Amino acid sequence: MLSRMISLVGCVLFAAAASAAPGGLTLYERIGGEAKLRATVHEFVLIMESDDRINFTFANTDLKKFEQLLYEQLCELTDGGCKYTGRDMYTSHAKLNITNAQFNALAEDLYLAFDRVHVPYRLQNKVVALLAPMQRDVVKPHPVPQGSAPPARRNAR
Amino acid sequence: MERARVLRAVAFTSCILGSGLLRMSDATADSQFTGDEGKFLLTAGFSDLEGAGGGGLVPLALISGYGSSDSWGANAHFTNIQLHDFQLRAYGVAVGALDRVELSYTRHEFDITGTPLDGLGVTQDILGVKVKLAGDAVYTQDGWIPQLAVGAEYQKNEGISDGGAVGLPGVVNPTQLGAKAEHGTDYYLAATKIFLAESLVVNAALRYTKANEFGLLGFGGDLKNTYSLKPEGTLAYLLTRNLAVGAEIRTRPHNLSVDDETSAYDAFLAWTPTKNISLVAAYLNLGPILGPVTGITRRQDGPYLSIQAGF
Repeated sequence: MLSRMISLVGCVLFAAAASAAPGGLTLYERIGGEAKLRATVHEFVLIMESDDRINFTFANTDLKKFEQLLYEQLCELTDGGCKYTGRDMYTSHAKLNITNAQFNALAEDLYLAFDRVHVPYRLQNKVVALLAPMQRDVVKPHPVPQGSAPPARRNAR
Repeated sequence: MERARVLRAVAFTSCILGSGLLRMSDATADSQFTGDEGKFLLTAGFSDLEGAGGGGLVPLALISGYGSSDSWGANAHFTNIQLHDFQLRAYGVAVGALDRVELSYTRHEFDITGTPLDGLGVTQDILGVKVKLAGDAVYTQDGWIPQLAVGAEYQKNEGISDGGAVGLPGVVNPTQLGAKAEHGTDYYLAATKIFLAESLVVNAALRYTKANEFGLLGFGGDLKNTYSLKPEGTLAYLLTRNLAVGAEIRTRPHNLSVDDETSAYDAFLAWTPTKNISLVAAYLNLGPILGPVTGITRRQDGPYLSIQAGF
């Protein structure tokens, strides 16, 4: 039983090792580059619009512009060579009172969008791993004190 | 039986208290009572053997239930473990509040189905509490700090039934098999890290315990009647958003001369098709149980099946 257990653990580790980047490709390239990432972002906006958990938080958002900015952000994060031109995450969410549940709902919608354009789950996780730490800037205690200064920036994006 | 009823009442009261902890300010009226199901799939864990949010044998630092930090969640579970000569049924409820505190109640029904002791049964009640201390297993993807939680599990052995029927007349309590107490409390520290970029979940726990065979054979014994600090671990690989495969190990003390207790292992497949239902199928090995008494010293391994429903 112990040997079976060890071999299973070995399999798990092997599977993890096998998911490491092959041949120095960037995550952007492994996902499928601009075409795939733009398709993902487009699907994401469609899914999010019909998601009653979070669509109201985008009520005052220019979704065309948002789609472009999200593409830039994902492209930059996945080493696609883009430059994100939007506001940083803290500032852009300062008045939205985003909750953890809403932050997670958005990530779930992104997973769905990746599914729709057939990006493998392992790569989806790599993208969400890059987005997850933004929770600290996006989700804040409620209500946001008016005129409060942002905390010390860790990783301004 | 009276005590079991009291424990059930305590668990029910815990549910009520858990719901009372809700933050009423900005949750919608709807989610105050149903929970917001705001956590990611799989991040509520499953119900471990003692009822804590975990895998099968080992607790995780994650809080049971799908309520986010602004809400709450609850679930009920039923687990069946079929070993060569033993069967263990575990069922109970758990409440998670504010993604911070977890309360659980679980009942064990342990039956000997083989060996010369065929027909003997043991029941046990377990009340658990877990508090998240620090860290976040999901959001901290840019650092090494795991999510940390501490927990306590009060276990009350309700005694041995049908001792007379199997040639052990008058044996009604594990203390008659060498255990020093029929109740005890385990304490544990759990550290859980989700390496999302690698689709890996790594968990380590340290348990401070006197339990014999999870408390089914009482607490402390003729060989050792002091607490032991025993490490446990979980490794899982996320196959899809709702499916994980993994293994667990739980080292255990050897307190009783009538039971050559060893480490316990399992390999599991955990499936959460929705946030309302989870299934765990595992293969479990507990090592020999009561070998010196029964003369049956083969390892006790077999399937572990668990279903959990909740929100």
